[in-house]
Amino acid sequence: MSELKIINNATCTFCGCVCDDIQLHSDGNRIHKAVKACVLGKAWFLNHTGDKKYPDAIVDGKETSVEEAIQVSADLLYDADMPLVYGMSNTTCEAQKECVALADQLCGLLDSHTSL
Amino acid sequence: MQKSKHLPAGRKDRTMVLVDIRETKSVKASDVFLQVRPGKDFELITLLRAMLREQKVTDDQIAETGLTREQCVDFLDRAKAAKFGVFFFGMGLSMTRGKHMNSAALLTLAAELNAFTKFVAMPMRGHGNVTGADVIMRWQTGYPFGITFNRGYPRYNPGEFSTVDVLVRGDTDCAFIIGADPGATMPQPAIDHMAKVPTIVLDPHVTHTSKLAKVHITTAPAGIAAPGTAYRMDEIPLPLKPAIDSPYPSDEEVVRRINEAVAQKADWLGTRPQSIQHQPIS
Repeated sequence: MSELKIINNATCTFCGCVCDDIQLHSDGNRIHKAVKACVLGKAWFLNHTGDKKYPDAIVDGKETSVEEAIQVSADLLYDADMPLVYGMSNTTCEAQKECVALADQLCGLLDSHTSL
Repeated sequence: MQKSKHLPAGRKDRTMVLVDIRETKSVKASDVFLQVRPGKDFELITLLRAMLREQKVTDDQIAETGLTREQCVDFLDRAKAAKFGVFFFGMGLSMTRGKHMNSAALLTLAAELNAFTKFVAMPMRGHGNVTGADVIMRWQTGYPFGITFNRGYPRYNPGEFSTVDVLVRGDTDCAFIIGADPGATMPQPAIDHMAKVPTIVLDPHVTHTSKLAKVHITTAPAGIAAPGTAYRMDEIPLPLKPAIDSPYPSDEEVVRRINEAVAQKADWLGTRPQSIQHQPIS
């Protein structure tokens, strides 16, 4: 286990408020303390760990590698007549930009949580 | 509450009007509570717009919305007298009878109040970076959500291209879900269709949607293990500071690699920039 590090002014992305004054105490694998975070923010920060809880990727219920899953995804999306790219709320702007590029390339639908 | 140069008394200088169909816990925190009848949002907003323009409105028409004329006049007086007003609206407005038209009416009312004072409307966001999605889509396509690229250029029409409608009608034949769990939040007919078509899910957890999906790829949680940018509800971009090391790749990396894999395939529609470049100039 690496030593404890303190991150000042961390950003919480649990809800739309996006508080940016959180102090995180982390050992690299788990966050032990989230100072100034609300009940929701504390649960958000303290419940995630660096452990490998889930398989890298799952295709048809079977565990597989990320590369394999990416190839299958690309095939499915390319073969579809009307693919849909949806969600993008719990992710970064950089990933969202890639999603827009994906929908553009596929000539598909693009939508976010806003429409809900 | 925050005190400022223009609002030295903090909360006392502010007025909060709560509009809901029932008395919630938020009533205690508000100054004025307006109990509107369910499904009468559009009527109420339209009447307020008419009264703002001093047009004739009958008492019967107002009574139908569940409010009185005094309440409406009082609200408009407060709105016009405010230095800076904000409408915060959520799914109670956009997901009940009238749907997008309710939001459109409220935005129009906010725009028309600008004849008197500064007034804006802001949607209340539930999840982390929904605002970022709006901003990025606006920047890249010109529209905030409900977009189709099926003609090779972006078109916008909520109700036609919005996800719930597309899924309920059974239009789409492949779904790519990132940073969302529609399997837990969407109406049952939409979930049923999603289970029928091949679905690809990118999420830090195995979610309800992952269980009915064909492909699930585990990614690092944004803001905890993956770096990047997130937008606050009032459209302020903030950097994310990851605190833990994840064994999984970030969303950005996975989507970029899918993009690259799709780009390897034949360009059947001829919309990619490089194919346009190669067209002969007559």
